[in-house]
Amino acid sequence: MALHLNLLHEEILQQRQRQRDPLKLGLIVMGAFGALMFFYYMWNAYQTLEIKSQLSATQREWAKVEPKVTAVQKRATELTAIISTTKVLDGIIESRFYWAPFLEKLARCVAPNVQLTSVEGTVSEESKSVNVVIEGVAAGREARGAAEELRQLLTEQIGQDHKDVKVDFKSLEDLDTVVNIGGANMPTARYALVVSFDPSAAGASAAASPAPARKPKEKPE
Amino acid sequence: MKLTKDQLQKVILSAIGFAILIYVYFTFFLGPLNKSRASMIGSIASLQKKIGDSNGEMRKGAVLEEQAKTATTRFAALKALSPEGAPIAWFPPRMKTFFAAQEIDKATARLDSSSAFKQPELADWMKYAWQIDLPQTDFAALGKAVAALENTEPLLSTSRLSLKASAEDPQHQQALLSVSTVIVRR
Repeated sequence: MALHLNLLHEEILQQRQRQRDPLKLGLIVMGAFGALMFFYYMWNAYQTLEIKSQLSATQREWAKVEPKVTAVQKRATELTAIISTTKVLDGIIESRFYWAPFLEKLARCVAPNVQLTSVEGTVSEESKSVNVVIEGVAAGREARGAAEELRQLLTEQIGQDHKDVKVDFKSLEDLDTVVNIGGANMPTARYALVVSFDPSAAGASAAASPAPARKPKEKPE
Repeated sequence: MKLTKDQLQKVILSAIGFAILIYVYFTFFLGPLNKSRASMIGSIASLQKKIGDSNGEMRKGAVLEEQAKTATTRFAALKALSPEGAPIAWFPPRMKTFFAAQEIDKATARLDSSSAFKQPELADWMKYAWQIDLPQTDFAALGKAVAALENTEPLLSTSRLSLKASAEDPQHQQALLSVSTVIVRR
């Protein structure tokens, strides 16, 4: 067996110690780990850049859409306001009481022997009911009967279009005056009628009508 | 393997260095990057939601525009009934002209009161109350005129009508109308 003499024993030991130096090994491990982490970071950074470009594209798209949608929102608010205002105005228009059809009916009810001297009508703001006071003079063999006929006619005619119709005499008194109708002298009576009704039932059919077809006789004979 | 004191120190030093490396990496590099990425993803999602909602709103807006055509036309027509200027300046002459066209020559309109509406929808509108005096008319002419007035002035409503036979002139009657108009606030 050959005899080995290791004359460099110390140097070899030192070299082995240098190779197994924990600091050096640690640095190598850290370097390798660091490189790994660097590549992982770079991969993440690349992905982030991609996302950033996506974000930029989305922001550009939003910048295009935003003014349009703002304008649409503004217009929608404007239109909603117009629609609601028109609805309220239409409500006001539809809830009006049309006097012309009433006057037409009144004219139809007035017979030649009946005269109107005053018509006072009001529409109640709260209840929307209509109250009319009609004053006049009726003539006939039965002057009171002529006035009553007018009352009944009014009840019937107004009742065709409106509900809760009430036509009552406020006063009815005989007059001393005698008028000549058709060559015959007839006694007269002064009447005052109170007409009240709810115009709501009239609905859309209560549109203003043309002028009365018949002019009432109001000139005393 | 038994470590010498010097080696042990180096191992500890390496471990500390490694810990610092990890800390710095996650705190100053990967952490902010991930945070920024998460924030960007959040922003993208939020923007895409906004874009989606906006498209929906634009579709709704188009539908509303279509639906509101009638209301818009009607609103414009109602608004056009109120000319520019103070109502006291144009309403009485308008009524005078109107009744003259209805063969009622003497017509005067005077302003009674004006008030704002309580409804928020009518914030831009005012209610004016007028007295229209027709000292020389007759029942038939008045009936025609009232019918025409109610048909041509949709924003006008008559709250009181008074018709009296004239003692001096039996051919004519005196009429007084209390009307209210809805007029755009200028």
